[in-house]
Amino acid sequence: MSADRVPGETSSVDGDLPDVRAAQANRAAFAILYRRYLDPVYGYCFYLLGDHHDAEDATERTFLAALGAIERFRDEGATFRSWLFRIAHNQLANALRTRDRQRTDPLDGAQELTAASDDPARLVSLADDARRLRAALASLSEDRRQVVVLRFVDGLTAREIGVVLGRSDGAVRVLQHRALRELAVLLER
Amino acid sequence: MSKSPSAAERLDRAVDGILDGLSPRIAAAAGGVDVAAHPLVELAADLRTRLVPPPAAPSFEARLAVRLAAADSAPDPLAWALRHPGRLIVTGAVGSAVGVGVTAYAVWRNSRRASGAHRLLHR
Repeated sequence: MSADRVPGETSSVDGDLPDVRAAQANRAAFAILYRRYLDPVYGYCFYLLGDHHDAEDATERTFLAALGAIERFRDEGATFRSWLFRIAHNQLANALRTRDRQRTDPLDGAQELTAASDDPARLVSLADDARRLRAALASLSEDRRQVVVLRFVDGLTAREIGVVLGRSDGAVRVLQHRALRELAVLLER
Repeated sequence: MSKSPSAAERLDRAVDGILDGLSPRIAAAAGGVDVAAHPLVELAADLRTRLVPPPAAPSFEARLAVRLAAADSAPDPLAWALRHPGRLIVTGAVGSAVGVGVTAYAVWRNSRRASGAHRLLHR
């Protein structure tokens, strides 16, 4: 990506296509895509579900569904990763519909994400920062939280996020703008 | 005449720069972001640093790899049927014939038992 590109044009160059073609010819080659995208898909599921077990379950369903459907993937404007994250998004929607509605803090399990440090005062400060960020993210509407996670955790483009969420890339940019403004207020920046 | 990019589009270009590793100041300038919105670009850089993608547990990774390999080796009945529609018709016909035969035999056996019991009752 370069700063002066036309937004959303990156999908015309999908670096995954050779590996996707290989996986379509021989499903054993799907292992390369699995290794490449396990952590990003798991991270997406974890940030949205806030629980390692639920995230593993959603990740597993995502990859099994993707392997089952890999022959039907067509390079028609959407990148492979936006297609894969779309599957993950559907699995997340199912998980969120069926999960225990009593759970209110979707990032409660994210404490271990705080960077390690030997200085106790620094650790306290980092933990406090992480808690504030979790609380701010949790208070965003679901579509804004999805955009923030897909953009900043997984590095998807606005166009790719549009494919995942079923929105136009313009709508995703507006959601991103509003999410950042809201987070700035919540984090008092 | 090209339309000038909206504030959301300019911010998105700056975020692209952040994701490419530019500093917030340079990314904001490259995106053409207004000075008033520079704190949003700095926040974007902060989010990129702080929202660490958590790695999947190695045990989970290994377990899922095994499941994927098993799913890969399992035959897909739908794909097989689509590749061999003739065999699907023959299989369906044979399956139906066997089903009809088994059902007819069961009905015949039942009727024999019923008539036997009927004879015993009226002996």
